[in-house]
Amino acid sequence: MSRYVVGRIGQALLVLWAAFTLSFILLQAMPGDAVLIKFLNPEFGLSADQIREIRAAYAIDSGLLVQYANTFANFLQGDFGYSMQAGVPVSAQLATNLPPTLKLAGLGFLAATILAVFIAFLSTMAPFAWLKNLIQSLPSLFISVPVFWLAIMLIQIFSFRLKLVSVINPGPWESVVLPVATLAVPIAAPLAQILIRNIDEIRTRPFVPVARAKGASEIGILWRHVARNAILPVLTIAGVLFGELLAGAVVTETVFGLNGIGGLTEKAVSNQDLSVLQAVVVISAAAFVTINLAVDLAYPLLDPRLRTRNGATA
Amino acid sequence: MTPYRKILALSLGLLAATALPALTRAADAPVKGGTLVYLEQQAHTNLYSPAGGFYPNGGILNQITDKLTYQNPKTLEIEPWLAESWQINENATEYTFKLRSGITFSDGTPVDAAVIAKNFDTYGLGDKALKKPISEVVNNYERSEVIDPLTVKFYFKKPSPGFLQGTSVIGSGIVSLSTLALPFEQLGDATKIIGSGPFVVAAETIGKTLDLKVREDYKWGPAKLEHQGRAYLDEIKYIVTGEDSVRIGALLAGQADFIRQIQAYDEGQVEAQSFTIYAPGTRGMNNSIAFRPDNPLLADVKVRKALSLAVNRDEIISTIFSKNYPKATSVLASTAIGYVPQTDKLEFDLEKAEALLDEAGFKAGSDGIREKDGQKLVLTAYASLPQPQSQAVLQLIAQQWSKIGVKFNVLAGDAGSKVVDELDPLKTPIAVAMVGRADPDVVKSLYYPTLRNQLLQQGGTSDKVKTFSDAKLNAILDEIASQPDREKRLKAVADAQAYVLDQAYAVPIFEEPQAFAGAPYVKGIAFEAVGRPSFYSTWLDK
Amino acid sequence: MTTADTFSDLDTGKRSKRAGTSRSLASILLNFPYGLALAWLVIATVLLWTLVPGLFTAYDPLQGVPGGQLKAPSAAHLLGTDSLGRDLFSRIVHGAVHSLSGAIAAVGVGLVVGTGLGLFAGSVRGRVDEIIMRFVDVLLSIPTLLLSLSIIILLGFGTINAAIAVGATAIAGFARLMRSEVVRVRNAEFVEAAFGSGGTFGKVLWRHILPNSLTSVVAYTAVQFGWAILQISTLGFLGYGAPPPTPEWGLLIAEGRNYLATAWWLTAAPGLVVVAVVLSANRISQSIGKTNGRSA
Repeated sequence: MSRYVVGRIGQALLVLWAAFTLSFILLQAMPGDAVLIKFLNPEFGLSADQIREIRAAYAIDSGLLVQYANTFANFLQGDFGYSMQAGVPVSAQLATNLPPTLKLAGLGFLAATILAVFIAFLSTMAPFAWLKNLIQSLPSLFISVPVFWLAIMLIQIFSFRLKLVSVINPGPWESVVLPVATLAVPIAAPLAQILIRNIDEIRTRPFVPVARAKGASEIGILWRHVARNAILPVLTIAGVLFGELLAGAVVTETVFGLNGIGGLTEKAVSNQDLSVLQAVVVISAAAFVTINLAVDLAYPLLDPRLRTRNGATA
Repeated sequence: MTPYRKILALSLGLLAATALPALTRAADAPVKGGTLVYLEQQAHTNLYSPAGGFYPNGGILNQITDKLTYQNPKTLEIEPWLAESWQINENATEYTFKLRSGITFSDGTPVDAAVIAKNFDTYGLGDKALKKPISEVVNNYERSEVIDPLTVKFYFKKPSPGFLQGTSVIGSGIVSLSTLALPFEQLGDATKIIGSGPFVVAAETIGKTLDLKVREDYKWGPAKLEHQGRAYLDEIKYIVTGEDSVRIGALLAGQADFIRQIQAYDEGQVEAQSFTIYAPGTRGMNNSIAFRPDNPLLADVKVRKALSLAVNRDEIISTIFSKNYPKATSVLASTAIGYVPQTDKLEFDLEKAEALLDEAGFKAGSDGIREKDGQKLVLTAYASLPQPQSQAVLQLIAQQWSKIGVKFNVLAGDAGSKVVDELDPLKTPIAVAMVGRADPDVVKSLYYPTLRNQLLQQGGTSDKVKTFSDAKLNAILDEIASQPDREKRLKAVADAQAYVLDQAYAVPIFEEPQAFAGAPYVKGIAFEAVGRPSFYSTWLDK
Repeated sequence: MTTADTFSDLDTGKRSKRAGTSRSLASILLNFPYGLALAWLVIATVLLWTLVPGLFTAYDPLQGVPGGQLKAPSAAHLLGTDSLGRDLFSRIVHGAVHSLSGAIAAVGVGLVVGTGLGLFAGSVRGRVDEIIMRFVDVLLSIPTLLLSLSIIILLGFGTINAAIAVGATAIAGFARLMRSEVVRVRNAEFVEAAFGSGGTFGKVLWRHILPNSLTSVVAYTAVQFGWAILQISTLGFLGYGAPPPTPEWGLLIAEGRNYLATAWWLTAAPGLVVVAVVLSANRISQSIGKTNGRSA
């Protein structure tokens, strides 16, 4: 078991390093560079010589391998460098932008889970087949709506027309309601689909009529069994969904004008602010790898069948 | 063309108020206090004063820094501010400023001759060690001299007639020695900018919000302003809100008080709800498209002329814009210094355009696109994000040009590709241009090879330019920037306008305003000469 | 897409009891899959838009009528006109070819590269499998949107480049699905039997593994198709999509959103079209998934 754990951790670190390297290559290959973008801005009116000097000052033209080695060494020490565009250290930007995104992502995931459970149970309780079908097709509808479009529509309707929540200068709750709703919708869809399948499956099991005969309510039975069976797939999906959450965050943060990693990423891409992008990639890759590692390690603990199998192979 | 509609209305109102004393006056008396929520379209990039040309930067710097002089936005006269008086020698090579006493920065240090000297040494010469570039408003700068604690003198290598106006712009905002000592890349952090202005940066979330607090002890506003003493507002909250629909929606829903960049199509409903549109002009180079003659397709003046003749300005303005966007009648705005109308050079005539293209040897090909020696007349330009509806304007021009057999591709690129491609005349034979500044130097800024180099001449930042250079144009531009005699200087400005259009180097489209919208209770909004807001005299009537 | 691992065996084996009952007209009417039929209808209509747009609209999607801008929906202009006086319905119809070809190209990239990797990894197993799947992990660990945007900047703007950028992010999903299918089929008795009766690896792969894993890949492709339309439109929204005046749907939504306060239909209409097409693609994918469940 411990060899398995060490092996998985080793693999995780390898993936992390590969993500760093791949993104470094990708980012270095981009045309133009942050120095040019920033200083060629005609507002500065710089001459060609001045720009050359500035580039030299930032050591932007030193060899690729040297830059790679430097960047890698700095990252190992937790130094993410300086954002060319914002003029502040990347770590400072992360410190202000990471917490809001984590909050948004966490609440979004929570809301998605609740929404998914709600849909799944609603569909089993639906008295008519057509209603059941309708509810069961909700998840498909959810993943068919462009997130940015949903966000814009929600703002228009709930903030500007109905004036229920303020998007500018909002209170602590107001500031998360609409973004969390936006983020939760596409994530709730796959979760709801798993739950619906689980429920259908459990209903066909022989113990259900027995338990019902003993006087237990059907909802009660489903709830107990579904809850237990749903934890694993929800966990698995949590790992995969992280990237999705970040992509969702780019859009929601742009539309709602929130500060966060998503908005930071979007700006950094357009200004080719490489140190910011590199840090974003490493952080999200680290999060992805950690969540997946945790899920992998937690699986055997949660599912006895897997424990024996893993125990046998590892 | 009503760039200062609101201010005019306001001053008329004030006039009425003085004529009918007591009652009306009491109703209109400014109220102290309150927070102004201001929605900005883009985040500020860097608060080094010379970077104040970028509107989000300028909109902040204008509240937290003062300038040596004040340019009256109505008369464009230069009036005293931090400097009580000044002297200029005949050649415009020596400027002496006498400072007002008792002024302090928000960190308590005094604003004296030494600080002012250090500020302009930085702006005029740049600071290589700290990576700070030279300001585009300070030409031919040599050195400074501190005569006494309140007197400072500047020397120039060549005449620099634009310098006095240059001291009044946001780009010459005065900051403390501690701010000047910071390297360029740290000036993105607004809390580090120490000025002597009516507001002080209280808090900042980079890229998102900025809180300004009033300075209670401020008592050195421009001497001729009616309002003296501290600003009326207690606080200003800048919130970066990139989405157009969110900014306008939030304003109308009462979640914000004042917003920048409202598009012409939203004006109707803003005014219908008795909100106010402010559209101060920018008094500089008009919104225009510039040709890059280094590209072989545009090397022939006949081709450029034909393209210019095929642009229908009236159609562009009536389709996309409103009365706040006056039609261009020169490359300079009609409110700019030295403007001379050039309407005879800016006609719309499709037949003449086609005849010129025929003459130039571009004949219609099988697909309707004109070609010469197998080279199709296909042109490309990037839309310019800060310019109002640039994308739509270019698409409409593309439609208009398609009638004379010219294909015009409009690109929407990321900032990086745009910067790189716009240096290459083969990739972008056309570029969108606009600069606001209320001094004739602005003409040089836009076209001079070592400055913005909009036409891509040799000698600029681009190494992609093969041959194009126009010595005659550059001579006129040099004359504008260094001719001390006012009459001769204005003559050069007139020559430049005529020459650029004779050569059909650019097609001016409209006079670009800065469009803002405010809630009905927001009073006393003012704009500096180039349309950046000043909230010093702003108050909330609620 | 995240539904990758879950949808392929959705709803399996739950409708076996219906077989053999006598079919009255009422039960046919009741059991007719209206949703699915509607989904096919939507897809068919959109395909017709790409082939013969002229049948549906007479207006030019690129040339507007100056002075006729921002008109509300009416009999003349079903969905109104945009800021340059172009008919919105015409732009949506003519845009179908751009949006659909973009989505097809994107899915094509993901399908070919992804299934290729997955098939190879699942077939050879061992160290190579490990390396390939870790590479897939790396692809998954880089945020999809960031990957897409970087690729677009690298390749330049345009419908096809946007499609490639979206396709690249779909590779990981296809590779994982294909590998798991291959592993599943490989362990099945009949495949082991085929190996046992002396079949070469290539033959077994071609005859047994590939056909048996194909259904779920096809179903996944349909889902991915809808997802690609969404991703391409998101890129358009962020300003990285097709260059104007291309009437690509994402761009239409993105451009229209600025007019929400004055002309909400400019963004609502193309938005609903995208929702309808993606929804239909998902519905069809589900029906493929069901047939798969029955036959396996």
